[in-house]
Amino acid sequence: MTTIDSPARTVGRVRRPGPRRGSEAVWFVVPFVLLVAIWWLVVEVTGTTARTFPQVTDVIAALAEMAASGDLARHLGASLQRMLIGAVLAVVTAIPFGIALGSSPRLSAFFSPLLRFSVALAGIAWIPIATLWLGYGDRAVIFIVWNAMFFALTYNTVLGVQQIPVQTVRAARSMGTRGPRIVWEVLLPGALPSIVTGLRIGLGYGWRGLVAAEIIATNAGLGYALFLAQSQFDTGVIIASMVIIGVLWLLMDRLLLAPLERRTVERWGMKAVS
Amino acid sequence: MTTMTPPAPTRAPARVPLLRRLGTVLLAHPIVRTLGPFVPFLLIWWAVAATGSVNAAFFAGPGEVWQSFTELVRKGMMPSYLGDSLERLAYGVGFGLLIGLPLGFVVALSSWARRLTWPLLLFFQAIADIAWLPILIVWFGFSLTSVTFVIVYTVVFPLMLGIVAGVDQVPRELVNAARSLGAGRLRVFFEVIVPGSLPAVASGVRTGLGYGWRALIAAEIIVGTSGIGFMMFDARRAGEVSQVFLGMIVLGVLWYALDALILAPFERATVERWGLVRQMEAAR
Amino acid sequence: MNTLEINNLRKEYVDHYTGETIPAIGEVTFSIGEGEFVSVLGPSGCGKTTVLNIVAGFIDHTAGDVLVHGKSVHGPGPDRGVVFQSHALFPWKTVLGNVTFGLRMKGVPRVERERAAADILELVGLSGFERKYPHELSGGMQQRLGLARVLVNEPEVMLMDEPFASIDAQTRRKLQQDLTEIFEKRRPTVFFVTHDIDEAVFLSDRVVVLSARPSTVAEIIDVDLPRPRTWRETVEDPRFREYTHHIEERLGGGEPDAQAG
Repeated sequence: MTTIDSPARTVGRVRRPGPRRGSEAVWFVVPFVLLVAIWWLVVEVTGTTARTFPQVTDVIAALAEMAASGDLARHLGASLQRMLIGAVLAVVTAIPFGIALGSSPRLSAFFSPLLRFSVALAGIAWIPIATLWLGYGDRAVIFIVWNAMFFALTYNTVLGVQQIPVQTVRAARSMGTRGPRIVWEVLLPGALPSIVTGLRIGLGYGWRGLVAAEIIATNAGLGYALFLAQSQFDTGVIIASMVIIGVLWLLMDRLLLAPLERRTVERWGMKAVS
Repeated sequence: MTTMTPPAPTRAPARVPLLRRLGTVLLAHPIVRTLGPFVPFLLIWWAVAATGSVNAAFFAGPGEVWQSFTELVRKGMMPSYLGDSLERLAYGVGFGLLIGLPLGFVVALSSWARRLTWPLLLFFQAIADIAWLPILIVWFGFSLTSVTFVIVYTVVFPLMLGIVAGVDQVPRELVNAARSLGAGRLRVFFEVIVPGSLPAVASGVRTGLGYGWRALIAAEIIVGTSGIGFMMFDARRAGEVSQVFLGMIVLGVLWYALDALILAPFERATVERWGLVRQMEAAR
Repeated sequence: MNTLEINNLRKEYVDHYTGETIPAIGEVTFSIGEGEFVSVLGPSGCGKTTVLNIVAGFIDHTAGDVLVHGKSVHGPGPDRGVVFQSHALFPWKTVLGNVTFGLRMKGVPRVERERAAADILELVGLSGFERKYPHELSGGMQQRLGLARVLVNEPEVMLMDEPFASIDAQTRRKLQQDLTEIFEKRRPTVFFVTHDIDEAVFLSDRVVVLSARPSTVAEIIDVDLPRPRTWRETVEDPRFREYTHHIEERLGGGEPDAQAG
């Protein structure tokens, strides 16, 4: 899988206009301003009603109302809490499992078709069974987030461990590293480029799984807010919720994944080769 | 890879027993290698079901699942639902490629297009595709269009981002080489940039399909008229556990087939061929 | 007692497909004394790295003994430090982190670790790079770090597996010179694997010449050149040419596929 670089890092034929950060920021904002302007203009000119598509001001009003009524905080809180619990559970289960599997070449070769099968199924396809086992509510949603991330993360951890050069492990062993220390000193950091990729893919699946599961199985959260607004044909809230979902993912990427990559994989010169 | 083989070693007579040799050869066979891990999985599943330790309202054994499979096939529901799901996926992916491929190359190659759309691409990619479903339902109702639209959406963005990454990966030297050999702009595009970016495009298609696949299931559950996703959720409501299990297996097998018959050959034709070129460079 | 003794070492592989047994090492016997620099030289693919990997404890042998100070070797251990061709540095650790790794595994306290590391980094010319990561160093510096990482542990014997093979010719000369100086200062016991005849003769007290697969010891040559050695003076020495010519003939004579691999 390719990790998509931010435009500043790509080495393409398109050179960004100089290293000035200010102009970078401007170029990031301009398209959004244009989009909003076109949106406003089109709705105004065609006279589209809010029943079909909301005006910019409707969305802002919906956002303000959601914030004022406390709905925004409630839905946001519910979604983020589920995402966090599911993601943490996935990280603490999948990485040890992946390392255990990956450190035995035979075991990982044997199980990798089953793992790939599970990655394809992970997340949304489990919603019916999750609601059957755990009922409608938080537990089913958390299960879906965990499940969506678990297999992708396990699979990529296994790959990462397999990609550690044999010499690196030998070097550690020849300096007296034994047992659990090998895991901590060599296997985990060595597999990290691939683990980060798995985290990115897994979070993507998990995020989508969260929204879908919330639509289907709960009475709080951003997905539920979307679903409720749809049944009331409240397009302002629908678009507002979509914007929130998009912004949250971008924040997750910028504040969590990107710094993690910068501090580890990139700092160590181990950028994953796609 | 043949270039990598070490010089033919002096061979000593066989000492490994025939049975073990047969075992190793058999284990190396692709079919055995692929299906191998599913055997213990099936056995455990069967054993758990046979002990009856799990409440039958929550769990179905392989026998029951097989039964409901044959039953659904006989009634014609399975083929028709399967057909519906595949049709939606095919439409979605087809339109997704039709839109994503040209747009992707435009964004990748035109500096203006890229400046104006790159942040938007990142943002629209960030809005989880399933979040589009409610507004689509408002527009198109609980219809095939809504489902197809979501799949198109999920395919287009990873594909475009993949193309941009792929075009950026093409070494400048290759473009310069082609130009100095007398290729015009159009020929450089078709002879150098397109093939050079194919590996990244392939991985974009794979990511897009992976998301599209999930979106299809979610959309079928939510929109709920027909299809495998609908079948599973309907069965869950009716308490037909075996059909829920069956649905998951069908989805898994379907993805596997999709992967083996379409994605993998495409990647072999692009990514791995490139990989091979790189490997030979490294070996030298 | 010799620091390292290799007695009647043999290694066979079993090809899992055909079930055939392929001899890799026919029979190898030699020993290395305390503070001695011994090179093992042979055509590519002759199994010299296999010998080193067995001594390091990375792979099992079929028959024979490997003894360090008279004690049989099982598995890898800090008494035998390995310098790899691919340097095998930990990319996630800084220069300091790499050098102190072995001491940390031994449980040496931090202050002592860092003092020892400072000495060694000075010796290999990497002072001031403590906070850099391996990928920020040049190929030559990476290999110096690989050497420092092992030297600092003061192993009984240092195993060096073609450490300069993937380094450009100019830097290689410099590294060989530096290694000689470090060796002459510290006198570690060194088992050095190479396919470069000049390198082997220049660095070593003795050169063990292996035959092609299945390898056996073709000849052991005592290199009687004065120390301290410098490239400039040593190449001028007529005995240096004699040694290299002799080994060249020895290797060129028997083996048609010396180029392979």
